[in-house]
Amino acid sequence: MGLSEIEIITALNRLSSLKSALSAIGVSGMTVVQAIGCGVQNGTQEYEAEMNQEMELLPKQMVIILVEDSQIDKVVDVIKKVLFTGHIGDGKIVIKPVSNIIRVRTGEEGADALH
Amino acid sequence: MDDKKLGLPSVISTGVGLIVATSCLLSLGQGAGSLGTGFIVSMIMALVINIFSALCMAELNAVMPNLTGGLAQYTLAGMGPFVTIVTMVGGYLLCQSIAGSVECAMFGNTINTAFNTGIPSSVFCIILLAALIFANLMGVDVFAKIQNVVVYGLIISLVAMGLIGIFGLGTGEEVVQQMNTAGSLSDCMSYLGLAFFLFIGCEFVIPLSPDVRNARKNIPLGMVLSLVIIAAMEILVIFGMGHYTAWSDLAGSASPHVLYGSSLLGTAGTIWMVLVSIFAVISTVNSCINFLSNMCAGMAKIDLLPSVFLKKNKRGAYYVGILMIGGIMIAVNATGLSNSSSLSFMILVAMVFWMISYIMQDINVLSFRHRFPKMPRTFKVPFGPVIPLLAIIGNAFMIWHIDGDPAVRASIFRIDGIIFIILAVYAVLWCRFRLKRPLFKPYEMHEVMAMENELYIPAHRSWKEKQKAAAGKAAAKPAGR
Repeated sequence: MGLSEIEIITALNRLSSLKSALSAIGVSGMTVVQAIGCGVQNGTQEYEAEMNQEMELLPKQMVIILVEDSQIDKVVDVIKKVLFTGHIGDGKIVIKPVSNIIRVRTGEEGADALH
Repeated sequence: MDDKKLGLPSVISTGVGLIVATSCLLSLGQGAGSLGTGFIVSMIMALVINIFSALCMAELNAVMPNLTGGLAQYTLAGMGPFVTIVTMVGGYLLCQSIAGSVECAMFGNTINTAFNTGIPSSVFCIILLAALIFANLMGVDVFAKIQNVVVYGLIISLVAMGLIGIFGLGTGEEVVQQMNTAGSLSDCMSYLGLAFFLFIGCEFVIPLSPDVRNARKNIPLGMVLSLVIIAAMEILVIFGMGHYTAWSDLAGSASPHVLYGSSLLGTAGTIWMVLVSIFAVISTVNSCINFLSNMCAGMAKIDLLPSVFLKKNKRGAYYVGILMIGGIMIAVNATGLSNSSSLSFMILVAMVFWMISYIMQDINVLSFRHRFPKMPRTFKVPFGPVIPLLAIIGNAFMIWHIDGDPAVRASIFRIDGIIFIILAVYAVLWCRFRLKRPLFKPYEMHEVMAMENELYIPAHRSWKEKQKAAAGKAAAKPAGR
């Protein structure tokens, strides 16, 4: 069974609701990295009339979770709905294939290391 | 931590409170007076169409969440500024001003039905309006605080009176009459417009969604249940009325609820209904003035109305909107349009625009699904395009059957046509000279969302001034160097 890493880059205030929603569908384990960055708007605030010429890096967070491939659609659907506000800055979701996962404590590998 | 506090019962209670108003009782009395229990068929048809429209609006809220302007903002992103100005800014606002005026007229009618003062009903309405305009200008919100209590007083009273009537427990004399006086289904259809008025306003529940637990499920469900509960309550009242009040008396009364209270329980019933309905009218008209002035400010925020509507007085009240809405209501009431047939006519004139605005929302749902098929929606109306299409057809059908009398219908369409032309002229001029945008090109959705930010207008205004200044400098610079 294949494994994937889902990276979610979003605003700082979305963590609590994202954590609750992922817990509710049985995702166990997540890693959160504080970050700075911007998207296609170069960090322009949505009310501003002119787009920044140079990138303005804003505080963000990157949430990393690991899931089995069969769970990707369900998990991504929940993430999209939780993060959606319709405003600029809702974030990005990146899905990457993972060749293996190893739980250091027990030596379990693959999907076993996730449960 | 989940800091959202409102559950399904709160959504239902707010929904019921927002939809039910004393003026609904006029429609109920008129409809029941004309068709007897046959009016229930009209009510159920209007209820189903309203439920479909409510579901569509819940989906729009999922696509563009937490907007203060609501329907106008959906239409701006769906169909562009011209349609938004004509149907929402003009139609919806005007329609709600008329609905508020009708509610206000019920105040004078109720007093005169109960006490027969000999003073024209409009005098009471104008005094009430002047007091409420003053209270709103002063930022006094006392009636809003007791609104739920007052509205629930009305609801409980109506249910109790309905049950007393049905079980023959009243002290008045029972009337023996044919319960269903509708001759055919087409009779019921001709009263769809009046029936529709009983259920309008469930869209006002949508702004609650940020504070509602599991809003995805509770908002649509709460809207549907509110409508169903109101229908059930009003059906009880119709059956009760049939046992104690002659249908012909109800049809001709400007305060059918007071007439029913009086027929059912004598003087005690009259006093009961007068007290409850007077408080309910005051509370509703007060909210109406407050809501509409805020709505004008919301429209000004998205640059569809002049920015003068954003001006606040020292008490923080949007005084331009309050004075304008209050002025319209006074003008409507001062013309003496407070007898039952005039009120019903005005309701129907207003309803046409309201139904058109609902049709626009149903079209917006289909348009957004086509333009943004992959956008995450926390609520999506089931069965694909079937329900939005049925809502469009249903509302169009109700417009076509707005009144059974072809002459009255033509008259309603004529007045709505004149209003439409005035609004269309305003919309064209506003789009050409103020917005400088194509009439029918939808705004980008993110732009409409950004307009919600209170810094949007100042930021864009200063940017435009900078652009002008830069253009002026460039023009003044001598050429040839």
